[in-house]
Amino acid sequence: MHAELVSLAWLAATLGGYYALKPLYRRLPRWWTSPLLTVPVLLAVLAFAFGMNYANYMRDTHWLLVMLGPATVAFALPIWRYRGLIRRHWPALLAGILGGSVIAMGSAWLLATWFGLGGEVRLSLVPRSITTPLAMLVSADIGGVPELTALFVVITGVAGVALGEVLMRFLPLRSRLARGALFGMGAHGAGTAKAYDLGSEEGTVASLAMVLGGLFNVLAAPGVAWLVR
Amino acid sequence: MNSLHARIRLFSMRQPRLALVAQVLALTAFCLGCDRFARAVHLPLPGSVLALGVLLLLLATRVVPLADLRRGADWLLAEMLLFFIPAVMAVSQHTALLRSDGVRIVGVILLSTVLVMTVTAFLVDAVWRWRRHAR
Repeated sequence: MHAELVSLAWLAATLGGYYALKPLYRRLPRWWTSPLLTVPVLLAVLAFAFGMNYANYMRDTHWLLVMLGPATVAFALPIWRYRGLIRRHWPALLAGILGGSVIAMGSAWLLATWFGLGGEVRLSLVPRSITTPLAMLVSADIGGVPELTALFVVITGVAGVALGEVLMRFLPLRSRLARGALFGMGAHGAGTAKAYDLGSEEGTVASLAMVLGGLFNVLAAPGVAWLVR
Repeated sequence: MNSLHARIRLFSMRQPRLALVAQVLALTAFCLGCDRFARAVHLPLPGSVLALGVLLLLLATRVVPLADLRRGADWLLAEMLLFFIPAVMAVSQHTALLRSDGVRIVGVILLSTVLVMTVTAFLVDAVWRWRRHAR
Protein backbone atom coordinates (compact mmCIF):
# COMPACT_ATOMS: atom_id res chain seq x y z
CA MET A 1 0.00 0.00 0.00
CA HIS A 2 1.09 3.57 -0.62
CA ALA A 3 2.63 5.39 2.31
CA GLU A 4 0.26 8.33 1.70
CA LEU A 5 -2.77 6.08 2.02
CA VAL A 6 -1.40 4.47 5.17
CA SER A 7 -0.87 7.79 6.92
CA LEU A 8 -4.33 8.96 5.82
CA ALA A 9 -5.72 5.75 7.32
CA TRP A 10 -3.93 6.53 10.61
CA LEU A 11 -5.48 10.00 10.65
CA ALA A 12 -8.89 8.44 10.00
CA ALA A 13 -8.31 5.89 12.79
CA THR A 14 -7.28 8.66 15.21
CA LEU A 15 -10.33 10.80 14.40
CA GLY A 16 -12.71 7.84 14.24
CA GLY A 17 -11.39 6.40 17.49
CA TYR A 18 -11.69 9.76 19.23
CA TYR A 19 -15.29 10.40 18.20
CA ALA A 20 -16.28 6.80 18.82
CA LEU A 21 -14.75 6.63 22.31
CA LYS A 22 -15.67 10.14 23.53
CA PRO A 23 -19.30 9.21 24.38
CA LEU A 24 -17.96 6.44 26.64
CA TYR A 25 -16.16 9.04 28.75
CA ARG A 26 -19.23 11.25 28.85
CA ARG A 27 -21.34 8.38 30.14
CA LEU A 28 -18.73 6.94 32.52
CA PRO A 29 -16.25 9.66 33.46
CA ARG A 30 -13.31 7.74 35.01
CA TRP A 31 -9.60 8.25 34.49
CA TRP A 32 -9.34 5.01 32.52
CA THR A 33 -12.15 5.95 30.11
CA SER A 34 -10.51 9.23 29.05
CA PRO A 35 -10.01 9.42 25.26
CA LEU A 36 -6.42 10.33 26.03
CA LEU A 37 -5.92 6.79 27.26
CA THR A 38 -8.46 4.79 25.26
CA VAL A 39 -7.58 6.21 21.82
CA PRO A 40 -3.81 5.58 22.11
CA VAL A 41 -4.58 2.05 23.39
CA LEU A 42 -6.83 1.47 20.38
CA LEU A 43 -4.13 2.83 18.06
CA ALA A 44 -1.53 0.64 19.78
CA VAL A 45 -3.69 -2.42 19.16
CA LEU A 46 -4.00 -1.43 15.48
CA ALA A 47 -0.25 -0.82 15.33
CA PHE A 48 0.36 -4.25 16.84
CA ALA A 49 -1.95 -5.87 14.28
CA PHE A 50 -0.85 -3.99 11.16
CA GLY A 51 2.52 -2.55 12.13
CA MET A 52 3.21 1.16 12.49
CA ASN A 53 5.95 3.44 11.33
CA TYR A 54 5.95 6.48 13.59
CA ALA A 55 7.10 8.92 10.89
CA ASN A 56 4.31 7.64 8.70
CA TYR A 57 1.78 8.00 11.51
CA MET A 58 2.83 11.60 12.11
CA ARG A 59 2.74 12.60 8.45
CA ASP A 60 -0.97 13.41 8.43
CA THR A 61 -1.80 13.43 12.15
CA HIS A 62 0.69 16.24 12.81
CA TRP A 63 -2.08 18.54 11.55
CA LEU A 64 -3.88 17.77 14.79
CA LEU A 65 -0.83 18.99 16.72
CA VAL A 66 -0.87 22.19 14.62
CA MET A 67 -4.38 22.83 15.95
CA LEU A 68 -2.91 23.22 19.45
CA GLY A 69 -1.85 26.71 18.30
CA PRO A 70 -5.37 28.05 17.68
CA ALA A 71 -6.51 26.20 20.83
CA THR A 72 -3.94 28.26 22.76
CA VAL A 73 -5.31 31.45 21.18
CA ALA A 74 -8.80 30.39 22.26
CA PHE A 75 -7.66 30.67 25.91
CA ALA A 76 -8.17 34.43 25.44
CA LEU A 77 -11.91 33.89 25.73
CA PRO A 78 -12.05 32.39 29.25
CA ILE A 79 -9.65 35.11 30.45
CA TRP A 80 -11.91 37.80 29.00
CA ARG A 81 -15.12 36.11 30.12
CA TYR A 82 -13.97 35.81 33.75
CA ARG A 83 -12.27 39.21 34.00
CA GLY A 84 -14.66 40.11 36.84
CA LEU A 85 -13.34 37.25 38.95
CA ILE A 86 -9.74 38.18 38.12
CA ARG A 87 -10.38 41.77 39.17
CA ARG A 88 -12.01 40.66 42.44
CA HIS A 89 -9.50 38.02 43.47
CA TRP A 90 -6.27 38.98 41.73
CA PRO A 91 -4.05 38.92 44.85
CA ALA A 92 -5.07 35.36 45.73
CA LEU A 93 -4.82 34.20 42.10
CA LEU A 94 -1.44 35.85 41.69
CA ALA A 95 -0.09 34.24 44.87
CA GLY A 96 -1.34 30.82 43.78
CA ILE A 97 0.01 31.13 40.24
CA LEU A 98 3.45 32.43 41.22
CA GLY A 99 3.88 30.08 44.17
CA GLY A 100 2.42 27.10 42.34
CA SER A 101 4.59 27.64 39.26
CA VAL A 102 7.79 27.98 41.26
CA ILE A 103 6.99 24.83 43.25
CA ALA A 104 5.96 22.96 40.10
CA MET A 105 9.14 23.67 38.18
CA GLY A 106 11.49 23.64 41.18
CA SER A 107 10.19 20.43 42.72
CA ALA A 108 10.16 18.59 39.39
CA TRP A 109 13.78 19.60 38.82
CA LEU A 110 14.98 18.75 42.35
CA LEU A 111 13.03 15.49 42.68
CA ALA A 112 14.28 14.37 39.25
CA THR A 113 17.84 15.12 40.37
CA TRP A 114 17.39 13.17 43.62
CA PHE A 115 15.85 10.24 41.74
CA GLY A 116 18.90 10.16 39.49
CA LEU A 117 17.18 11.43 36.34
CA GLY A 118 19.10 13.82 34.16
CA GLY A 119 19.44 15.27 30.69
CA GLU A 120 16.40 15.57 28.48
CA VAL A 121 14.14 13.61 30.83
CA ARG A 122 14.73 16.00 33.70
CA LEU A 123 14.25 19.04 31.45
CA SER A 124 11.07 17.53 29.99
CA LEU A 125 9.68 17.07 33.51
CA VAL A 126 10.05 20.74 34.47
CA PRO A 127 6.96 22.15 32.64
CA ARG A 128 4.77 19.09 33.26
CA SER A 129 2.26 20.84 35.53
CA ILE A 130 0.78 23.19 32.92
CA THR A 131 -1.64 22.64 30.06
CA THR A 132 -0.23 20.57 27.15
CA PRO A 133 0.10 23.14 24.33
CA LEU A 134 1.93 25.58 26.59
CA ALA A 135 3.98 22.85 28.29
CA MET A 136 5.25 21.70 24.89
CA LEU A 137 6.30 25.26 24.05
CA VAL A 138 8.16 25.64 27.35
CA SER A 139 9.78 22.22 26.94
CA ALA A 140 11.14 23.13 23.50
CA ASP A 141 12.34 26.43 24.90
CA ILE A 142 14.36 25.00 27.80
CA GLY A 143 15.85 22.09 25.86
CA GLY A 144 13.47 19.25 26.73
CA VAL A 145 11.65 16.88 24.38
CA PRO A 146 8.13 18.28 23.75
CA GLU A 147 6.64 14.82 23.08
CA LEU A 148 7.97 13.47 26.37
CA THR A 149 6.60 16.52 28.15
CA ALA A 150 3.19 15.91 26.55
CA LEU A 151 3.24 12.39 27.96
CA PHE A 152 4.26 13.63 31.43
CA VAL A 153 1.49 16.24 31.30
CA VAL A 154 -1.03 13.53 30.54
CA ILE A 155 0.20 11.40 33.47
CA THR A 156 0.02 14.50 35.68
CA GLY A 157 -3.59 15.13 34.66
CA VAL A 158 -4.73 11.58 35.25
CA ALA A 159 -2.90 11.23 38.59
CA GLY A 160 -3.65 14.81 39.64
CA VAL A 161 -7.41 14.35 39.62
CA ALA A 162 -7.13 11.36 41.96
CA LEU A 163 -4.51 13.05 44.20
CA GLY A 164 -6.55 16.26 44.34
CA GLU A 165 -9.61 14.43 45.62
CA VAL A 166 -7.56 12.84 48.41
CA LEU A 167 -5.79 16.11 49.30
CA MET A 168 -9.06 18.02 49.46
CA ARG A 169 -10.20 15.69 52.22
CA PHE A 170 -7.09 16.35 54.34
CA LEU A 171 -6.25 20.02 53.72
CA PRO A 172 -8.21 22.50 55.87
CA LEU A 173 -9.27 24.77 52.99
CA ARG A 174 -11.84 27.48 53.61
CA SER A 175 -12.47 28.94 50.15
CA ARG A 176 -13.83 27.64 46.87
CA LEU A 177 -11.05 29.71 45.35
CA ALA A 178 -8.36 27.51 46.91
CA ARG A 179 -10.06 24.28 45.83
CA GLY A 180 -10.32 25.54 42.25
CA ALA A 181 -6.72 26.74 42.16
CA LEU A 182 -5.55 23.38 43.56
CA PHE A 183 -7.03 21.55 40.59
CA GLY A 184 -6.15 24.15 37.96
CA MET A 185 -2.49 24.49 38.94
CA GLY A 186 -1.95 20.85 39.86
CA ALA A 187 -3.82 19.00 37.14
CA HIS A 188 -4.50 21.52 34.28
CA GLY A 189 -7.37 20.50 31.94
CA ALA A 190 -8.25 17.23 33.65
CA GLY A 191 -8.30 19.01 37.01
CA THR A 192 -10.44 21.82 35.63
CA ALA A 193 -13.07 19.33 34.49
CA LYS A 194 -13.02 17.81 37.99
CA ALA A 195 -13.29 21.26 39.58
CA TYR A 196 -16.44 21.97 37.52
CA ASP A 197 -17.93 18.86 39.20
CA LEU A 198 -17.43 20.58 42.58
CA GLY A 199 -19.13 23.80 41.47
CA SER A 200 -19.06 26.48 38.81
CA GLU A 201 -16.91 28.86 40.89
CA GLU A 202 -14.32 26.14 41.54
CA GLY A 203 -14.33 25.30 37.82
CA THR A 204 -13.93 28.91 36.74
CA VAL A 205 -11.05 29.49 39.15
CA ALA A 206 -9.43 26.23 38.01
CA SER A 207 -9.59 27.20 34.33
CA LEU A 208 -8.19 30.64 35.11
CA ALA A 209 -5.37 29.15 37.22
CA MET A 210 -4.60 26.73 34.40
CA VAL A 211 -4.49 29.38 31.66
CA LEU A 212 -2.76 32.14 33.61
CA GLY A 213 -0.33 29.72 35.28
CA GLY A 214 0.55 28.28 31.88
CA LEU A 215 1.09 31.73 30.40
CA PHE A 216 3.29 32.71 33.33
CA ASN A 217 5.39 29.59 32.66
CA VAL A 218 5.77 30.47 28.97
CA LEU A 219 6.85 34.01 29.80
CA ALA A 220 9.26 32.72 32.46
CA ALA A 221 10.71 30.06 30.14
CA PRO A 222 13.76 32.07 28.96
CA GLY A 223 14.71 32.70 32.59
CA VAL A 224 14.16 29.06 33.49
CA ALA A 225 16.28 27.99 30.51
CA TRP A 226 19.08 30.18 31.81
CA LEU A 227 18.79 28.66 35.30
CA VAL A 228 18.79 25.00 34.28
CA ARG A 229 21.59 25.15 31.77
CA MET B 1 -18.61 48.19 11.75
CA ASN B 2 -21.60 47.54 13.98
CA SER B 3 -23.77 46.34 11.15
CA LEU B 4 -20.98 43.95 10.14
CA HIS B 5 -20.95 42.41 13.62
CA ALA B 6 -24.72 42.30 13.68
CA ARG B 7 -24.61 40.42 10.41
CA ILE B 8 -21.96 38.01 11.77
CA ARG B 9 -24.13 37.36 14.81
CA LEU B 10 -27.23 36.75 12.70
CA PHE B 11 -25.23 34.36 10.53
CA SER B 12 -23.95 32.43 13.53
CA MET B 13 -27.52 32.08 14.85
CA ARG B 14 -28.91 30.87 11.53
CA GLN B 15 -25.94 28.68 10.55
CA PRO B 16 -24.31 27.54 13.80
CA ARG B 17 -22.25 24.81 12.12
CA LEU B 18 -20.93 27.00 9.34
CA ALA B 19 -20.21 29.76 11.84
CA LEU B 20 -18.26 27.28 13.97
CA VAL B 21 -16.10 26.26 11.00
CA ALA B 22 -15.58 29.90 9.97
CA GLN B 23 -14.57 30.91 13.50
CA VAL B 24 -12.14 28.01 13.88
CA LEU B 25 -10.61 28.88 10.51
CA ALA B 26 -10.37 32.55 11.48
CA LEU B 27 -8.62 31.68 14.76
CA THR B 28 -6.27 29.28 12.94
CA ALA B 29 -5.37 31.86 10.28
CA PHE B 30 -4.86 34.52 12.96
CA CYS B 31 -2.59 32.18 14.93
CA LEU B 32 -0.53 31.25 11.85
CA GLY B 33 -0.20 34.93 10.91
CA CYS B 34 1.04 35.85 14.39
CA ASP B 35 3.41 32.87 14.26
CA ARG B 36 4.92 34.10 11.00
CA PHE B 37 5.31 37.57 12.45
CA ALA B 38 6.89 36.30 15.71
CA ARG B 39 9.40 34.24 13.72
CA ALA B 40 10.15 37.07 11.28
CA VAL B 41 11.04 39.58 14.00
CA HIS B 42 12.62 36.90 16.29
CA LEU B 43 10.27 37.53 19.20
CA PRO B 44 11.24 35.46 22.24
CA LEU B 45 7.53 34.55 22.44
CA PRO B 46 5.67 31.69 20.70
CA GLY B 47 3.34 32.95 17.96
CA SER B 48 0.27 31.39 19.56
CA VAL B 49 0.91 33.25 22.83
CA LEU B 50 1.40 36.51 20.95
CA ALA B 51 -1.90 35.83 19.15
CA LEU B 52 -3.58 35.22 22.51
CA GLY B 53 -2.34 38.57 23.80
CA VAL B 54 -3.43 40.46 20.69
CA LEU B 55 -6.84 38.78 20.75
CA LEU B 56 -7.27 39.70 24.41
CA LEU B 57 -6.48 43.31 23.48
CA LEU B 58 -9.00 43.21 20.63
CA LEU B 59 -11.65 41.84 22.99
CA ALA B 60 -10.86 44.47 25.64
CA THR B 61 -11.09 47.34 23.15
CA ARG B 62 -14.35 45.82 21.77
CA VAL B 63 -12.91 45.69 18.27
CA VAL B 64 -13.88 42.01 18.25
CA PRO B 65 -17.00 41.18 20.27
CA LEU B 66 -16.95 37.93 22.24
CA ALA B 67 -19.96 36.63 20.31
CA ASP B 68 -18.01 36.61 17.03
CA LEU B 69 -15.64 33.89 18.20
CA ARG B 70 -17.46 32.12 21.03
CA ARG B 71 -18.50 28.99 19.17
CA GLY B 72 -15.14 28.41 17.52
CA ALA B 73 -13.09 29.08 20.64
CA ASP B 74 -15.26 26.87 22.84
CA TRP B 75 -14.99 24.06 20.29
CA LEU B 76 -11.19 24.33 20.14
CA LEU B 77 -10.96 24.20 23.93
CA ALA B 78 -13.44 21.31 24.21
CA GLU B 79 -11.67 19.16 21.58
CA MET B 80 -8.16 19.86 22.83
CA LEU B 81 -7.73 16.21 23.89
CA LEU B 82 -7.97 15.16 20.24
CA PHE B 83 -5.16 17.50 19.28
CA PHE B 84 -2.58 15.94 21.51
CA ILE B 85 -3.29 12.29 20.88
CA PRO B 86 -0.48 12.28 18.25
CA ALA B 87 1.87 13.63 20.93
CA VAL B 88 0.94 10.75 23.22
CA MET B 89 1.64 8.32 20.37
CA ALA B 90 5.25 9.53 20.49
CA VAL B 91 5.60 7.17 23.48
CA SER B 92 6.38 4.48 20.92
CA GLN B 93 9.63 6.32 20.18
CA HIS B 94 10.72 6.25 23.82
CA THR B 95 9.82 2.76 25.07
CA ALA B 96 13.40 1.92 26.11
CA LEU B 97 13.66 5.10 28.18
CA LEU B 98 10.29 4.53 29.81
CA ARG B 99 11.14 0.92 30.63
CA SER B 100 14.34 1.95 32.40
CA ASP B 101 13.19 5.22 34.04
CA GLY B 102 9.39 4.93 34.03
CA VAL B 103 8.95 4.19 37.73
CA ARG B 104 11.20 7.08 38.78
CA ILE B 105 9.46 9.45 36.35
CA VAL B 106 6.04 8.56 37.74
CA GLY B 107 7.44 8.99 41.26
CA VAL B 108 8.65 12.51 40.45
CA ILE B 109 5.30 13.40 38.88
CA LEU B 110 3.23 12.14 41.83
CA LEU B 111 5.34 13.83 44.55
CA SER B 112 5.67 17.06 42.61
CA THR B 113 1.93 17.20 41.95
CA VAL B 114 1.13 16.74 45.66
CA LEU B 115 3.52 19.60 46.48
CA VAL B 116 2.09 21.93 43.81
CA MET B 117 -1.49 21.30 44.89
CA THR B 118 -0.80 21.72 48.60
CA VAL B 119 1.27 24.90 48.26
CA THR B 120 -1.09 26.52 45.71
CA ALA B 121 -4.20 25.81 47.76
CA PHE B 122 -2.63 27.07 51.00
CA LEU B 123 -1.32 30.26 49.38
CA VAL B 124 -4.65 31.07 47.75
CA ASP B 125 -6.54 30.33 50.97
CA ALA B 126 -4.14 32.44 53.04
CA VAL B 127 -4.40 35.49 50.75
CA TRP B 128 -8.18 35.09 50.53
CA ARG B 129 -8.50 35.01 54.34
CA TRP B 130 -6.10 37.91 54.80
CA ARG B 131 -8.05 40.05 52.31
CA ARG B 132 -11.36 39.21 53.97
CA HIS B 133 -10.03 40.28 57.36
CA ALA B 134 -8.43 43.42 55.93
CA ARG B 135 -11.79 44.66 54.71
